[in-house]
Formats: sequence, C-alpha cells, structure tokens
Amino acid sequence: MTDSTRLESAVESADASQPAAPRRQVAGRPIPVRRAGRWAGVALCAVAIAGCAGPREADEAVYDPFEDVNRAVFAGNEFIDDILLRPVAEVYQDYFPEALQDRVRDMLRHLRSPLIFANEILQGDFEGAGNVASRFFINSVAGVGGFVDVANHNGQGIPFEGEDFGQTLAVWGVDSGPYLVLPILGPSNVRDTVGRVVELLADPIGIIATAYEVDAFNYGRLGFSIVDARARVLDQLDALEEQSLDFYVTIRNLYTRMREAEIQDGELEADIVDIPDFDDFDEGGADDGAPQDGAPQDGASVTERPAGLPAGSVPSDPGAGAVSALPAPSLTIEPYSGEPYSGR
Amino acid sequence: MRSFLAVTLCLALFALPAGTARAVDEPGAQNFIRDLGDRAISLLEESTAGTADRATGVRDILRTSFDMPTIGRFTLGRHWRSATPGQQEEFLSLFEEMVVETYSRRFTEYNNETFVVDGSRPEGERDVMVRSRIVRNDGPAVEVVWRVRDRDDSFQIIDVMVEGVSMAVTQRNEFSSIVQRNGGNIDALLDAIRQQISTIRSGA
Repeated sequence: MTDSTRLESAVESADASQPAAPRRQVAGRPIPVRRAGRWAGVALCAVAIAGCAGPREADEAVYDPFEDVNRAVFAGNEFIDDILLRPVAEVYQDYFPEALQDRVRDMLRHLRSPLIFANEILQGDFEGAGNVASRFFINSVAGVGGFVDVANHNGQGIPFEGEDFGQTLAVWGVDSGPYLVLPILGPSNVRDTVGRVVELLADPIGIIATAYEVDAFNYGRLGFSIVDARARVLDQLDALEEQSLDFYVTIRNLYTRMREAEIQDGELEADIVDIPDFDDFDEGGADDGAPQDGAPQDGASVTERPAGLPAGSVPSDPGAGAVSALPAPSLTIEPYSGEPYSGR
Repeated sequence: MRSFLAVTLCLALFALPAGTARAVDEPGAQNFIRDLGDRAISLLEESTAGTADRATGVRDILRTSFDMPTIGRFTLGRHWRSATPGQQEEFLSLFEEMVVETYSRRFTEYNNETFVVDGSRPEGERDVMVRSRIVRNDGPAVEVVWRVRDRDDSFQIIDVMVEGVSMAVTQRNEFSSIVQRNGGNIDALLDAIRQQISTIRSGA
C-alpha cells in the first residue's frame, strides 16, 4: 500500500464516518438464483428499512481498493477508444442512416426482453414484467419482429425500461463491492460484473442462437451493442471530459451514483443532500461534515503534507477519448440498462 | 411482522416533517425556471455565436440565476475549513469563473433546442425541484431537474440534476479527490481549476 492510497483510505473512512447514514458494507456475494424467492422478500424488507435509515451520504467515497489497477485499465480503455471504438462509433453515427440506427437500437432492446422480464420477476416488480411482456408481444407482431418499437411510438405508450441482473442483486440487498474498471466494457463493480456473467450465461436469445450454431448472430449483436452504446454518448462524454479535472474520478462517481439511481427505478433523486446557504455554513447547525479537530484556520494545514507526496502533483490530464461505458450526465436514459454486452 | 412495523414507523417518520414544513412556492419556482429558459433561448436566437453580446448575456444569466457562493462552498466540502480565508476567496472566484466558462461554452453549441418545464416537487423546507426537458432535434430529450432555493423574495438555482445525479455532488467528489491526492493541498486544487479555465478558454 502506498502512502497515497493509505492516505486516501484514511480520508475515505473519515468521510464514511461523517454524520450521514451508516455505510452499507455487505460483502458482494451473489445469492443463488434458486433461493431467489425467499431472499427477495427478505431483501425487499431490508432495503425498505435501510432506505428509511436516512439519506445515505451521497458523496460517500466510492469503495475503490484496486484504484491503481483500475486506473491502468481505464487508460488502456481510453487508448482502445481512441484508436478503434470512437472512430467506428463516429462513422456509424455520421454515415449510417439515422432511421436504421433507430431500428438497430429497437432490435437490441427487443432482444433483451426475456432477460428484462426475468429480472423484473426476480425483483418482484410484476407491473414492470407485464410491461415488458406487452412490449415484446406488440413489437414482435406489429413491429416487424422487433425492428420497430411501436409499443412506445414517439414517446407515447409503454416506455422501455432497462433491468439487469446487477440491479436485481442490488434489490436483493447485495452491496456493490469494490469498484472495477473492466477491459473494454468500462466501469463496473463486483456485483454488476457478476450480473453480467450471469446474464451472459442465462440469456435465452444467446442460448438459442448458440444452439442453432448461428455464431454470426451473437457476434453481430455484440458488435452492434458496443457501437450503438458508444455512438449514443459521443458528444456527452466529450463534454464531460472537457469539464472534468480528473476523468477517472468523474466516471467512477457518475457510474456509481447513476447505477444507484437506476436501481431505484426512476426515483432518480438518489443524491439530494443538504446544501446549506453560504451564510449559514459558519453558524454551526448545517454543516458539511468538516472534522472538528481540523487544522487551524491560519493555513498551517496546507503544509502538513505527508512525505512522498509532491506539492501540486495534479493528476495528469486523462487525455482524449473515453472508456466505453459510461453513464455520463445528460446521456439519454438507460446507462447500463441496455443491451447485454454493450460497451458500458 | 416486525419488518412491517418498521416500515410503517419509517413511513410515519417520513410523513411528519413534510406535514410541518413551510410551504415553498412551487409555481413561483417553475416560473423562474421557465423565464430563465425563455431568456436564454431568446438571447441565443437574437445574438450571433462568438459575439461579445452573447458572451456577456450568457454570463449575466448565469451569474444572477445561480447562487455561486453557496454552490462553491458546498463543492469544497470539508476542505473549506482547512483553507485560509485567502484560499477561500480565491476558490470562490475561480469556481464561478469555471462554471461560467463551462456553461458559456455549452451555450455556444446551441442548435435550436427547445426547453419545456414539466413539473415540480418540494424538497425540504426551502427548495423546489423543477423538472424540465431539453428537446433536441437529433436524439432523445435530456431531462434536467433544477434545484431552486426559494428565498421568499427571490429564487436561485443551487444544484442541477442530470439523469438523477447531482452536479454539485459530482463536483464536490472531484474536488475532494484532487485535494486528497495532493495530500490536502488546496493550492493544488486552485491550480487545477486555473488550468481548467484556460483550457476551456483556449478551446472556445
């Protein structure tokens, strides 16, 4: 453990001990699907009660014990993005007819219907399950086998809602575990990675395609998923990176919090925190959780830098490009909730 | 059964403060955001990109409608206290500059988007969350929630939520991470912000 990581974990644990809600610290162990029913009820209650324990500190540091490795993978992803993913996504966005891009997206979502249906059931969201089933039926029949999302034409009707097994695990009370950056796939965590693997193995559409030995279908679906996901966030990620002081941290925070917002199904207000008025800050009551033993106000604290940490070693500019995945702000909807192998 | 009781208890606890809260002026906050959107769009329609008129207009709108000191102080979080008064002052002015530069830049990319206010809900005793949509010509609409503080005589934006994520909290995380990576050195953060501002300016 380096000085800097020790320092960070010290500060992070200090963060976690701030006045907010207790930190959920359940190990990221998955629960066997067979016992899902029993667990789901218990977990739902637990979540309901935990939710009442008060708002979680929204900027609670993301648990990232593998930060060094993650940063390295992140840099590798940016390189792959620069030389391959972004150029392909740009060509796709600029030269592939827009109407066809929509058909591709509708089809990719359509193919996820069985998985989403299963996840809605496992989460106990029967209304959601009914919506997926209706959409699947309507779009299969009236939407030319799923190429046209007629069930949600022009935003009217039954909107697409993405669910995945990572979200299901979260609903069951499984904690996210350490943050991970996956090669090519981008930001994730232990729980969501387990979710991906389970979906990869359990996806009915994939199993059928494999059984009939149409590998080209699976590869094509995978390829389109990645390109579609990347093309969708080209501008947003650029803007995000431009205004970001440390792109790795920005993505880590946004991924984590957007996932939480998503797990709550549209209760997208996951991090509404108390923002005291400027004038109120120093009047005791409302506070930002500053440590009371804090450094003197005369600036001496600034010199209390542990050895080995050079002054002004601002993280280097993360360079252009982006990881594939990415829930970025002002992305249009479903971060992660989309297609299975999509580049998020 | 016990969990049922717990849930009920929780719901009751939740309900209580809401009942005693001072009523915030939701329609007023909605109008404030709607007016702001209208003002911004008419400014963009009437001025030409890259002109001083537009730049000044955008800055004015941003400076008056966002409560920069409150947001800035919030984003420095617990490091505010370890900063010297001089650093605090410097930070606030750099923060405002960075926000203005970033959003001015965003405004220059205006492409006939339209702005619709969809509704609102109260948040706490003095804030209103105003839901809005920015409708784009290419691609799906972007949903933005504005957190507006009702100060009886005026309204000001104190946070912007995009896809359910608070920009103020996002900014605070990032600042905090930079300070930590530099051993608690706030000057390093100030340098990073300065560098960021000049990068945005040179790219504009």
